[in-house]
Amino acid sequence: MASIARKQAVQPGANVREQLKAMDDSAVVTAFLGGEERAFSELVERYQTRLLNFIYRTIGDREKAEDLVQEVFIRVYRHLHRFDRSKKFSTWAYTIASNLAKNELRNRSRNPLVLFQTVQKNWQDDDRPLQFEDTTSRPDDMYRKRHLREIVEESVAKLPEHHRNVFILRELEGKSYEEIAEITDCNLGTVKSRLNRARNSFAEIVAPYMK
Amino acid sequence: MDCRDFKEKHFAFVDDTLPGIELIGMQVHLTECDVCAKQDAMVRRSLLLFRNLPSIEPSADFSSRLQQKLNAAKLADQEANSGRARKLAATVAVTSIVMLGYIAVSLRQVDYPQDIVLAPVVAIASAPGATPMSAPAPEMVASVPAGLPIWTAALLAEQAPVHFASLDLTATTR
Repeated sequence: MASIARKQAVQPGANVREQLKAMDDSAVVTAFLGGEERAFSELVERYQTRLLNFIYRTIGDREKAEDLVQEVFIRVYRHLHRFDRSKKFSTWAYTIASNLAKNELRNRSRNPLVLFQTVQKNWQDDDRPLQFEDTTSRPDDMYRKRHLREIVEESVAKLPEHHRNVFILRELEGKSYEEIAEITDCNLGTVKSRLNRARNSFAEIVAPYMK
Repeated sequence: MDCRDFKEKHFAFVDDTLPGIELIGMQVHLTECDVCAKQDAMVRRSLLLFRNLPSIEPSADFSSRLQQKLNAAKLADQEANSGRARKLAATVAVTSIVMLGYIAVSLRQVDYPQDIVLAPVVAIASAPGATPMSAPAPEMVASVPAGLPIWTAALLAEQAPVHFASLDLTATTR
């Protein structure tokens, strides 16, 4: 990769980046292990938003979610030389992210102060005055629509942790049942059962707000 | 199909992963059961809502913070590696010194061959009927002390004091 960049006369850096963008994850990993540092940036660019959304929906704290995503990339950087390239890189990255999110939730449940600070941060967001954009619509309808996103996010947060994990991986990240089984270290039957329950639970929680 | 079967397979029905016959069975059940039909609609609407949640983007300084952490991690790894290399070198050096010292002490304690006291080699007269020799000479059969290999005995035989059995026999028969 580095030799390809040297041979190019015009904008070698841009050309290498374009080549990296066209590669699949496995090839990008190989390029990085071969000495092409920009390949790691390509992996970060591909997965930072997806992992952020996954962790954020799992733990409900955006700031902490960013920290955890960065921790994922640091662990990837440190252990990429030991990664089994016959497996999918995304599954490995999501497994690390899932474990970090689980640990964060476990730590919160043990530390009431951390839990309180998280809840308090969310209260401050609710202090904003309500603004009605459309005076012809009923205020209570506007209120519901405006806060629908928060309601959906809160509804997901109400799901049991092991259901929520599977639910987010399937519905938001589009992972297959087999990938979810690998990421969460469960068997296929358990994944299907949890997904079924999570969907039904989520539907029941959100239903009153959808009328 | 009953409601229990419908609920068990509902996740696959929503994901459209059911084989043809089961898919038809589920669809038929929907037309026959209002409760399951309502549940199916509620689940699908809620999933639509969730799947359309806007994606959140990393903050503006996410990349720079990540780069700082990666640089710190690289530095920490380099220091850990050089520390490990120094420890290994020190271990090898100490082990070598100990081994050399042990060898030196062992060599001092080893006795030189001339200090070894050798057992006498006893020559025995041959049995009667043996082939007579042309010149009367004491016949010697080297006896080897038990436990000593032949080649070592051969090397040491020169140095061992030798007694001729024939002389001893002569002495005893008189």
